[in-house]
Amino acid sequence: MSPAARDRVFGYAMATPGLAAMLAVILFPVLFTIVTSTFAFTLLNPRHDQFVGLANYAAALASAEFRHALLVTLGFVVAVVLLEFLIGFAVALALNAVERGKSAYYAILLFPLMMNPVVVGLIWRMFLHPSLGIVNYVLSSAGVGAVDWLGDPRHAFWTVVGVDIWQQVSFMVVLLLAGLSALPREPYEAARMEGAGAVRAFLHVTLPLMRPVITVTLLIRLIFAVRTYDLVYIMTRGGPGQATDLVSYFIYRQAFVSLDIGRACAMAVILLLIVLPLTAWLHRYMRSLSAA
Amino acid sequence: MPEIRLDRVSKLYAGDVPAVSEVSLTIREGEFFVLLGPSGCGKSTTLRMIAGLESISSGDLYIGERRVNHVDPKDRDLAFVFQNYALFPHLTVLGNLEFGMRLRRVGRAERTARVGEVARMLGLSQLLDRKPSQLSGGQRQRVALGRALLREPVAFLLDEPLSNLDAKLRASMRTELVRLHRRVGRTVVHVTHDQVEAMTMAERICIMNDGRVIQVGTPMEVYRNPANTFVAGFLASPPMNLVTTRMRGDGMGGLVAEAPGLVIPWPEPERSAYAPYRDREVVVGIRAEDLRVEAHASTAAPVDVEVVAVEALGPEVILVGALPDMHGPELSARLPPEYTVPVGTMQRLWVDPARVRLFDADTGTAVPPPTPYSG
Repeated sequence: MSPAARDRVFGYAMATPGLAAMLAVILFPVLFTIVTSTFAFTLLNPRHDQFVGLANYAAALASAEFRHALLVTLGFVVAVVLLEFLIGFAVALALNAVERGKSAYYAILLFPLMMNPVVVGLIWRMFLHPSLGIVNYVLSSAGVGAVDWLGDPRHAFWTVVGVDIWQQVSFMVVLLLAGLSALPREPYEAARMEGAGAVRAFLHVTLPLMRPVITVTLLIRLIFAVRTYDLVYIMTRGGPGQATDLVSYFIYRQAFVSLDIGRACAMAVILLLIVLPLTAWLHRYMRSLSAA
Repeated sequence: MPEIRLDRVSKLYAGDVPAVSEVSLTIREGEFFVLLGPSGCGKSTTLRMIAGLESISSGDLYIGERRVNHVDPKDRDLAFVFQNYALFPHLTVLGNLEFGMRLRRVGRAERTARVGEVARMLGLSQLLDRKPSQLSGGQRQRVALGRALLREPVAFLLDEPLSNLDAKLRASMRTELVRLHRRVGRTVVHVTHDQVEAMTMAERICIMNDGRVIQVGTPMEVYRNPANTFVAGFLASPPMNLVTTRMRGDGMGGLVAEAPGLVIPWPEPERSAYAPYRDREVVVGIRAEDLRVEAHASTAAPVDVEVVAVEALGPEVILVGALPDMHGPELSARLPPEYTVPVGTMQRLWVDPARVRLFDADTGTAVPPPTPYSG
């Protein structure tokens, strides 16, 4: 064997265990899901013995509840990504101007992000409890009547959005702040020499220079927001009614409450088809950035 | 077009470290003025204070009759060219050139006309729709210059604008900048650590060290008569040879500086000024081109060295020689290109004592001290 061939064999030998693990826990479930989505596979009859083609997909798309879940998810994703971005960018800009104690602010900001979403959901469920929660207690001392934050269909959606913002906004802050602090100083000074004030420097220097960071941050947060699950599971179980029925939780119910694995798989594949192009685009974009 | 005057301007950063101490300078209208010094000497900070990008801790800055310490940078009527050009990466060359005029709401017709003119002057006409990332270093430099020209400022402030260019391009940009200055006729304040740039471009040079002005003068003045040993050692390559010697009487009413291998009898005119240094240590400074292989004047004094290296540069040869005193410094002599001699041989060089400069061994200042510059 030539040395080059030996190197190659050795390389494969080193990569095999990791590759095998990846295949077992990522590629196999994906393939299993795709295959199962074309069978009438239920937990009562967990066998691939009844091929149904695309019937599961047709049923999923025909289901008003599934379409509603998709819509709720779209609204949720747009709301959290947009609001978190706006708040996050404002906080990042403010923190970027801070000279002292930056690391202390950083640490405080990172706390919510380090917490498990299940814990976050439980804590906020207690805070927001209609009669025992601290939120309503504080409001009542200000003369505002009790609000049923999670039980009222008018409030539940925005309550979940609010809790998600509380937890995830630091993600935006941290990424945008890293971007801001890496910006070169000279373009600002050049703009200042030309007579640009703070607003124009922001519009003509900060925003254009931050565009790559902003794009990446938005895309990553978007992809993660689409699969939000734990928060809803803990706080509302999709309710009241279907007010907070995010698609990932809906799929979970389809599979483990309705026990219809085949149809749940079809829905999961539909979700995958939505997220995959976003991820591919993000991947491409980040590669083009590092190439430039 | 007014002059720019600094009156005891200082910059203190946190911790009271003075970056610039009591700098007084008058930059005359229309002149090409170079701030020269090693990195960290305060020259860039001085320039940035003139621009208004750095606040002035104490002292006064005048542009013409107007004190501008607290005037916003954009109202000082100055243009700044940054070391790394500071172009806006998302804008095309055209966008970069127009940026300031757009902010000042200059009309489209005038914008187009003026950009066209400057682009032609700098050879940028073909590049107007390119992004900075598609330009070479020299082209970016031109765009930065164009942006400055379009401001039509009182003065151009250039912060090491050539240091990111390769050697060949730097040489041609030097000539181009000087030509541009002559054509535009406005004041240029140019900061550099490159003494060749300073010597070739400046009408006057200000040499700074440790936040202070050491010497101001025309290139030939500071070259021929360095104010102290720092300037002597900083300007030119190889720098001025500095040798510690002892001053003593020659027993015939004359005065000589003496070190192993070298005796310099001072000519009549200098004697009275040098007399106080009798029997003391002094530093003599000899330019490399003032050391010759033949006694070219009747008064020439001998300098004996052991040849350490002979560096053939083409148009000339640099001889590096050691004085017989083993701890003494090495001397460099600029000799004709034909000169050749094996390493290790003894070589007698000659110097005209009238060309030799004298420095106080303790303070390093020139003797007699040059008239101090007072802005």
